[in-house]
Amino acid sequence: MSHLRRSLLWLVSLAVLIATYTLVASRVSRPDVLPPAPDIAEAFGALLSRGVAPPATEGHLHHPGGHVDTLRHQGVTLQASLAVSIARVLFGLAVGLPLGILMGLLMGWSRRADDCLHPIYILVRSVPPLALITYIMLWLGHSEAHRLIPIVYAVAVTAVIPTYHGVRDVAGKYVVAARSLGASGRLLLGRVVLPASGPAVLGGLRYSVAIAWMTAVGAEMLMADNGMGNLLVGGGMWASRLQTRSDPAVIMVGILALAAAGWAMDAAARALTARLTRWAS
Amino acid sequence: MPSVRVRRAAVSLLALAVLYGIAAEIGRGLLPDRVWMGAHYVENVQLLPTWRSLYEEGEFLLESKILVSSIAVSTRRVSIGLVLGSLAGILLGLLTGGVTRVESLADPWVTFFRFTPALALLPLYVVWFGYGETSKVLLIATSVAVITLLGAHQGVRGVPRVYLDAAASLGAGRWLRFTKVVLPAAFPSIFASVRIAAALAWVTIVVAELIDARMPSLGYLLALAGAYPRVPQMLIGIATVGALVLVFDLTALLLHARATRWMQRTA
Repeated sequence: MSHLRRSLLWLVSLAVLIATYTLVASRVSRPDVLPPAPDIAEAFGALLSRGVAPPATEGHLHHPGGHVDTLRHQGVTLQASLAVSIARVLFGLAVGLPLGILMGLLMGWSRRADDCLHPIYILVRSVPPLALITYIMLWLGHSEAHRLIPIVYAVAVTAVIPTYHGVRDVAGKYVVAARSLGASGRLLLGRVVLPASGPAVLGGLRYSVAIAWMTAVGAEMLMADNGMGNLLVGGGMWASRLQTRSDPAVIMVGILALAAAGWAMDAAARALTARLTRWAS
Repeated sequence: MPSVRVRRAAVSLLALAVLYGIAAEIGRGLLPDRVWMGAHYVENVQLLPTWRSLYEEGEFLLESKILVSSIAVSTRRVSIGLVLGSLAGILLGLLTGGVTRVESLADPWVTFFRFTPALALLPLYVVWFGYGETSKVLLIATSVAVITLLGAHQGVRGVPRVYLDAAASLGAGRWLRFTKVVLPAAFPSIFASVRIAAALAWVTIVVAELIDARMPSLGYLLALAGAYPRVPQMLIGIATVGALVLVFDLTALLLHARATRWMQRTA
């Protein structure tokens, strides 16, 4: 019955929080600070439909009213923004993970490489990826590169350590055993080191997913004209729109969408991990 | 043999520095000094500043006290956020890890929001708490709390059942088991999460300090350097943030080594 009780508490918690929020929101009655649930639903609906371009008849610059209007006039929709962000995160994972895992394997495998590369790795790792954006932009211009490179960088740097420890600490025992049985070279790497360090590498995958999302949203908030970060702040923060007061309803819709996407990706990562490390259990 | 390791580390770092110097000297003649910046060209940009110009910029930033005061302001924000966030996160994590009823209540929220980037809250915090110090510190605290909550939760969950049963059979009460068994056993996991959170706090501050950007702050220093653009200042800013992350991490490692001295160490 504990399972039933768990689900019951789960539901109670959900209901209580929504009820509390609605109550507080109606008590405060400041929709610009705490938007009531209908407002959030309305923003959600507005963001799903493709917006209309501002009427071209006006001769002067058009000043849209609120956050939702601004976004709709730019043709921003929730699903398109989410798709762009997911694509960026996936690109970061696809390029960053192999880089990080290779580096981790190298450092974990060879003592000499570890001694030489580890200090450099620590220096590189310490630099927050978002601090690099403008520097990358100077080199490569205003393009997709300065949004993707920080994500790749963040993912790669995060993936190194679990791989490194996997190879050094976990696989170490097996390597000694396999060596004493005469295994060497490719056999040792393919049959012993890679499978043995697998669980550690995949355990790090979940951190990499979280970091990739953080970096992607941050980069989009700073400098991008699409994606979830852009949706949240209604235009790049450095595009002098820093002072824009965002509509909390839009932000809440955005956060819920991000949470759902992050949760789905983590579920996929967990499923993948369980699949690939079946041998270990 | 630590001496070999230290020598190799020194050699590789030195090699990196020399290679950078050579690349910068060669690049001075080859790289364009006119760069397209979104809307216009900018003249006199050193894409790879030489050691000399980095030194001069560093001297200027130090003498004008810009760098020191920026470090002080940003470090203060990160530290307060880190302490507040860690306290909240660890307490919650211990609760959700130790008390099943609390876990079931918190579980939907934790599983749902643990992968939401805390940076997404920035515009919301600005609306709620204004442009001032509060929203910056709270944003850092939030991103730290999410990570430490998981660390503490997993730490408590990872305590072997045998330890608890053994302690209970020896007559230890709930409180004694918590302080003498659960806490020490969960410590490594909690500390690992604090380390990750500290690095993440510095990622957060770089963006958070663009809200109501004022001068003594590293985030705005970086943004200004990017706006001119002034590459030596940009690189020094990046290196400073990197150095601070390193200092925080080393401090955490030292504390960790101290706190887990009781553990058996395998070489």
